[in-house]
Amino acid sequence: MREEGRVLRQALALAALSVLVAAAVHVPLIRRFVRGDFRQAFIQAAEYPGLRLITIEEGEELWRTGGAAFIDARPAGTFEEKHIPGARNLPASEGEKRIPAAVLALPRGGPLVVYCEGGDCQSSLLLAKRLHAEGFEDVRVMTGGWADWVQAGLPVESDFPGRRDGQA
Amino acid sequence: MVRHRAVLLVFRIVLGGLFVYAGAAKALTPLDFAQNVRNYQLVGQSLSFIAALILPWLEILAGAFLVLGIWRRGAALVVSALLVFFIALTVVTMIRGLDVDCGCFGALDRKAGLGVILEDLGMLYLGLCLLLGGGPSPKRDGPSSD
Repeated sequence: MREEGRVLRQALALAALSVLVAAAVHVPLIRRFVRGDFRQAFIQAAEYPGLRLITIEEGEELWRTGGAAFIDARPAGTFEEKHIPGARNLPASEGEKRIPAAVLALPRGGPLVVYCEGGDCQSSLLLAKRLHAEGFEDVRVMTGGWADWVQAGLPVESDFPGRRDGQA
Repeated sequence: MVRHRAVLLVFRIVLGGLFVYAGAAKALTPLDFAQNVRNYQLVGQSLSFIAALILPWLEILAGAFLVLGIWRRGAALVVSALLVFFIALTVVTMIRGLDVDCGCFGALDRKAGLGVILEDLGMLYLGLCLLLGGGPSPKRDGPSSD
């Protein structure tokens, strides 16, 4: 019994030590978090000049008013399964090579909203940078991505017959 | 359960080394890891941030202690508990149908799925051998009775 207690105390001491080391090493990040830098996403907006990071609520507003073209950066198979109604699919890997004519034909000044899967927005950020470099002036990244859209119970559609539904 | 000292030494070095590597990969890119944690959709933005700062150091310290032979069973308990948590998390993620990067080894990521569970189960076996088969330190507690 004494041995079990000793092992448990060692484990707890390791956990406490980890908290202390993490706090000491990441002071600058903690300061930025307290300032509110990472309220929407854990990315540094300064690394993506020209892009705007928007919340699911802002994305929903743009979608409901029809004020923006939505670009889905997920792979084609995943997109066909379900996506935001009206969104166009441009997988980030494909977008790196060439931007399709249908996307290039969109108004350069109008907002584009780019999203990807599960809030993992590296692919949507990369695609958004590519679109921005292509001359689109107002590119917005919906940082919550597809997962947050579904979690919020917002409408989705499928490219497969019979799977269109109003809710996720 | 393996009890041979030489084999347990190899287990300690392999498992501890893997944890030090996994922890260091995450500690070097805390924001990427925080986003990984957030993607699991279990905790909010603040808890994801806190977990992403602390968890890598828990992995590094527990792994380093295992390799160095300091607080061996305490470190094995931490590592085993973390692995049980990772396995449960991956199972829940698969059941929920989420398509997320596992966030296990920093840049060497793959999707949270069956492969990750099998890998964690293998590491958990090593961890449990060290926890249950290592016995107490002879210097302090005498021969093991378990």
